[in-house]
Amino acid sequence: MTAGTVARARTTPPDDPAPERRRGVLARVPVLVWVFLAVPLAVELFWVFWPAFNSFSLSFTSWKGVGAAQPVGLANYERLVADPVFHTALVNNVIWVVGFGGLSVIGGLGLAVALNRPGRAVGFYRSAIYLPMVVSLAVTGLFWRVMYQPDGPIDAGLHGLGLGEWSRQWLADPDTALYAVLIAAVWRQVGYIMVLYLAGLKGCDPTLEEAAAVDGANAWQRFWRVVMPQLRGVNTVIFAVTVIDSLRTFDIVWAMTRGGPYNTTQLLSTYMFQQGFTLVNLGYGSAIAVVIFLLAIAFIITYLVRQSRSEDVS
Amino acid sequence: MNLSRRRFLMGTAAVGAIPLLASCVGSGADAGPSAGAATTLTLQSSIQDAGPKAAMESVVAAFTGPKTTLNSVATEQFRAQLSTYLSSSTPPDVLAWYAGSVANTYAQQGLLLDVSDLWAPGGACAKFSPALKALSTAADGKSIFVPTSYYWWSVFYKKSAFTQWGIQPPTTWDGFIALCDQLKARGIHPLTNGIGSTAWMTSGWFDYLNLRINGATYHRELLAGKHSFEDKQVTDVLDQYKRLIPYFHPNQTSWDAQQAVQPMVNNEAAMYLVGAFCTQYFPKDQQGDLDFFSVPPINPAVPSAEEAPTDGFFAAAGSKNPEGARQLLSYLASPAAQQSFIQKSGSSNMPTSPEVDTSTFSPLVQKGIKLLNETKEITQFFNRDSSDALQTTADAALTKFIADPSDIGAAQRNWQAAAKQVFTS
Repeated sequence: MTAGTVARARTTPPDDPAPERRRGVLARVPVLVWVFLAVPLAVELFWVFWPAFNSFSLSFTSWKGVGAAQPVGLANYERLVADPVFHTALVNNVIWVVGFGGLSVIGGLGLAVALNRPGRAVGFYRSAIYLPMVVSLAVTGLFWRVMYQPDGPIDAGLHGLGLGEWSRQWLADPDTALYAVLIAAVWRQVGYIMVLYLAGLKGCDPTLEEAAAVDGANAWQRFWRVVMPQLRGVNTVIFAVTVIDSLRTFDIVWAMTRGGPYNTTQLLSTYMFQQGFTLVNLGYGSAIAVVIFLLAIAFIITYLVRQSRSEDVS
Repeated sequence: MNLSRRRFLMGTAAVGAIPLLASCVGSGADAGPSAGAATTLTLQSSIQDAGPKAAMESVVAAFTGPKTTLNSVATEQFRAQLSTYLSSSTPPDVLAWYAGSVANTYAQQGLLLDVSDLWAPGGACAKFSPALKALSTAADGKSIFVPTSYYWWSVFYKKSAFTQWGIQPPTTWDGFIALCDQLKARGIHPLTNGIGSTAWMTSGWFDYLNLRINGATYHRELLAGKHSFEDKQVTDVLDQYKRLIPYFHPNQTSWDAQQAVQPMVNNEAAMYLVGAFCTQYFPKDQQGDLDFFSVPPINPAVPSAEEAPTDGFFAAAGSKNPEGARQLLSYLASPAAQQSFIQKSGSSNMPTSPEVDTSTFSPLVQKGIKLLNETKEITQFFNRDSSDALQTTADAALTKFIADPSDIGAAQRNWQAAAKQVFTS
């Protein structure tokens, strides 16, 4: 960190027209504290907000990475509206958020409840289920590509079960390709969600559940009426993590299908990468990135606002 | 930025801010040559296959000129960042890439070093063929590329398998279709291909059918955007392509170009239209068994044509050591360096220098050299004759067409719509 950056960053706070009384309090804060606050602010501004801002500004240009960017106004966004591949990617992303989020949360919660009890080999099961999370998504993609190969393990398994006519070219058939990738992604994510829920369940007060049991509540009621409300904090985290993870999903799709066959498994992120980095249409790619950003922000803000409102009420 | 200021004042905050924002980035990197000369060189290469990569390292190590550092970058990354490399203030001096439209586009932007002196009498490329010279010359007449090797596309087959099945390579299109029917009736997949993660392999047959039906001139013009993909000529090509679809191994949609040789290795498939790079995919003991025949003529009125993608090097205009770069390019173009690279890499590439002693090359490569010497027209490949952006439209259009060839008209309309985006953006 150079002195220049610090000095530049320190000039930013006075923009805030704070009320007089607060200003009096602020004046008593030692300068050293401001310096310590300004350093991370400058780092954040330079390394996070400035690149993000550049991405926004690029989306209003046509730029091939060479020479000056041509300002084109909203042309990139107009092109998005008419682009059939973008529509496919958008629909696929909806399927992905619902499928990936839904399946991994249901699976993770189910596994967490099942494994949240003392018993033989519980630790082994927990680590076994968490294990796929340790492997990178690109490796997961390669592993599942082998599984889905024609006459690969999955087809062989179906033949073994006498379901030979079900076997197909999982990743090359537009009807199954997206779901085949989805299953691979859920396979990896489920262990992560399980660990988060396990941590949440550990924090639940067992006496409440016992009291409810004494009052005659059955297992179903105890879970939904007593345990679930205590998991609210964990649910917020999991919702945010899941939505962000599903909107930024990229590596596993790229490793398994590259958006093919003929763009039927394209997600917003893979289409953005293809446009921005394979074809070097940086303006158009940035426009897609902005759409992803807006979707993620809209989801998260809506949820957090609703969440904090319900906390205020209770 | 006069326009942007006016619009900023006129427009609403949101809309008016757009051109202002646009001025934040991409305001132009200066690629002008710098005064300070350097004494070392950087060679940026995207060669990733093990054999050719090791061969490149050994060829560069034997260079006696300025000290040269070889950077090998993954092909995808190289492709994406090529424009950044060239326009940076300290570009790599020499870069390994493809001849043709991509190089010419960069030449138009003034990013490539003029190497016309290498093509002048006495230069390292002086004795290369006129076709190669034309390919290496930009629109303004300056030579900007140094080709060092090329390879051919053809229908590859195994001699032992053809003998075992009692069949001969066909010489006519009807004979080819009849051969496919005969093989299919005997339970052998006539053709193999790998169009899964290497969807561009679908363009091999498109290119050849277009060359055989409409000729090289129409093909080049179509790829340059001078004709529409909705033309009657393209319909004719797709009609023939549709006839071929049942002959392909059904797993072609899951395979890549390398996996596609597997059924040929096992004698389950007979023929493969592919570049000569495929030889390294076969087991060592089968490589000598490979032979090829050119896709038979369809329309007798068009001149013969073959695809021969050309690889080589260009230098950045912003190189700090242009004299050193020319020295390195001359060395790489020399018969000794070409011969050393081709023999050490184990691929079936052919030298561009007529002075290379090819008598030690395999009979397959000798036959390839003969094929290209006898053909009237030479094209490269879909992406090299057009652009990577147009290639992605071909990938989507052709893989979709192969999955459902029932509506050729719709396939052509969608392809043209996507291609139009590429030519207008």
